[in-house]
Amino acid sequence: MSRSRALPRLLSVLAALAGSALLLFLAAPIVELVGVGGAEGLRRLGTDAELRDSLLLTALCATTATLIGAACATPLAYMLARRDFPGRAILSALLDLPLLIPHPVAGIALLLLLGRESAVGGAALELGLRIVGTPLGIIAAMLFVSAPLFVSGAREAFAKVDPRYEGVARTLGDSPWRAFRRVTLPLAGRGLLAAAVVMWARAVSEFGAIVILTYNPKVVSVLSYDRFTSYGLREALPVAAALALLALVPLTLLRALRTDGASER
Amino acid sequence: MIRLDGLSAKKGRFALRDVTFALDAGAFGVVIGPAGSGKTTLLEVIAGLLAPTAGTVHLGGADARAVPPEERGIGLVYQHAFLFPHLSVRENVAYGSTDAGAFDEATERMGVTPLLAREVRGLSGGERQMVALARALARRPRLLLLDEPFSALDPRRRALIRREVRALHRAWGLTTLQVTHDFAEAGMLGDQAILLDAGRVLQSGPPAEVFRRPASPYVAEFLGAENVLAGTARDLGEAAPDWIDGAPSEYAHGHRAFAFESEGLTLYAVGDFAPGAGHAVIRAEEITIARDQTHDSARNRFAGRVVEVATLGALTRVTIEVRGTPLVAALTTRSAKELRIEPGLAVVASFKAMAVHLC
Repeated sequence: MSRSRALPRLLSVLAALAGSALLLFLAAPIVELVGVGGAEGLRRLGTDAELRDSLLLTALCATTATLIGAACATPLAYMLARRDFPGRAILSALLDLPLLIPHPVAGIALLLLLGRESAVGGAALELGLRIVGTPLGIIAAMLFVSAPLFVSGAREAFAKVDPRYEGVARTLGDSPWRAFRRVTLPLAGRGLLAAAVVMWARAVSEFGAIVILTYNPKVVSVLSYDRFTSYGLREALPVAAALALLALVPLTLLRALRTDGASER
Repeated sequence: MIRLDGLSAKKGRFALRDVTFALDAGAFGVVIGPAGSGKTTLLEVIAGLLAPTAGTVHLGGADARAVPPEERGIGLVYQHAFLFPHLSVRENVAYGSTDAGAFDEATERMGVTPLLAREVRGLSGGERQMVALARALARRPRLLLLDEPFSALDPRRRALIRREVRALHRAWGLTTLQVTHDFAEAGMLGDQAILLDAGRVLQSGPPAEVFRRPASPYVAEFLGAENVLAGTARDLGEAAPDWIDGAPSEYAHGHRAFAFESEGLTLYAVGDFAPGAGHAVIRAEEITIARDQTHDSARNRFAGRVVEVATLGALTRVTIEVRGTPLVAALTTRSAKELRIEPGLAVVASFKAMAVHLC
């Protein structure tokens, strides 16, 4: 075999080995976790009320955070995708910032903003709303760490819709809002849904910011940590496995969305 | 109906600059230009989808700058149709239609009635363009903006749909502005041709005028004039040239007579050109070929030799070398066969002085 042929083959083999090693590294702990604790986790759903409540609380808070995030971030993502304005790059960087800072730091920052000593937290208390130490704190933490993922996904979804579709709709009698609702939103819908699923999944898996804002009531990530530090690995395993199984739901949904999208093309 | 005055606009790195022209109500205008000349951008500015950076757009006599696209009474058809993929063909055509009669007429005339129940995804490129035309027409616009709307149609359908668009344009009194790079189409459809290049209007006017009297050699070559010769024009003045009878004041209603010297050839022309360096443009259709010297009214007659014969269906282009200068003549293929035109044959090319346009 000539040297010119051998080198590309060697590189292909090395690339395949490197990819396989990474895949194994990523999948093995999850497979091991679900394999060891999955069955017990599912059994505990019938007997462990705290785990059940925790899963429900996690799903509800993540869903609420996702709905709030999607409602507030969709216009922002649209603006970032469509408009060229001064400061757009700075705004984009600001939106990505929560993804870059350690999540306990995010929790501390949120505590400063929303704690009872702060102006916002104090005003909320005046209205009878306690944020820290309640599900509102969980939602705030989830929103903070996961909304940038929605903005990023939604921006990409809008950018994929050629603005000329909207232009045609405008010439056919639509106002900007009506063209957005009748044309852009349906065309970007799949991408927006995928962005929402990613945001929801990220919210479900959040720990660092939540543990600072609201230790109790416990979301599943906090519960698994609590069981681990209080009772050891044996008690933490079923909870962790249940969380891993819960995370499979959005992942499966996301794959299905992407497969459907691919088949359309 | 449409009047643009000193219009400038930017789209990305591209800029339209100082575009000025007017199109009467009910007229059919054709914008001709190479790719990237700003044709689509021009339509988008008129449609109100792109704001001008300078100048004015008047539609129906009113300043349209503050009028949003949905209130301009415009139908816009892009080359790539941009049918809404989440809607059926029927839903696409009905999208902006408020008039059932217009919907029926548009679908019928554009031949999309059999497609109404279909999904957009399964349509061919040509079918998409037909549906896009029907969608724009079903709203019964006052102004129709068409961006290469027939480019994906097969020749038979193209002729049919072009005829129907022209018929609707007349029947509805629809002011129409169409972008094309097809000169034949421009000649067939347009009451007015607007020649655009690099974001500027090079020339505008009736197509026959633009084609016969291009404003510059660039325009002439761009419009497909095969014979563009550089040289010098000499005003024959009051010397009563031997080929014009009568007193100077009677010459061609004030047009002057010129001798145009180009690479050893002397062409005779009439016009209002300023003497000096310039270009002579002779369209290939204006040149006739004979096997021997004939006596006719043509003032320009040159003996030469055929160097190339290119036949395309019923049309044959013959290149004749005259004293080192190639002249291209367009003949019907039948005439070329009857004259037994072939490379190497000695022929005489002739054309009238009026066929020589100096610019």
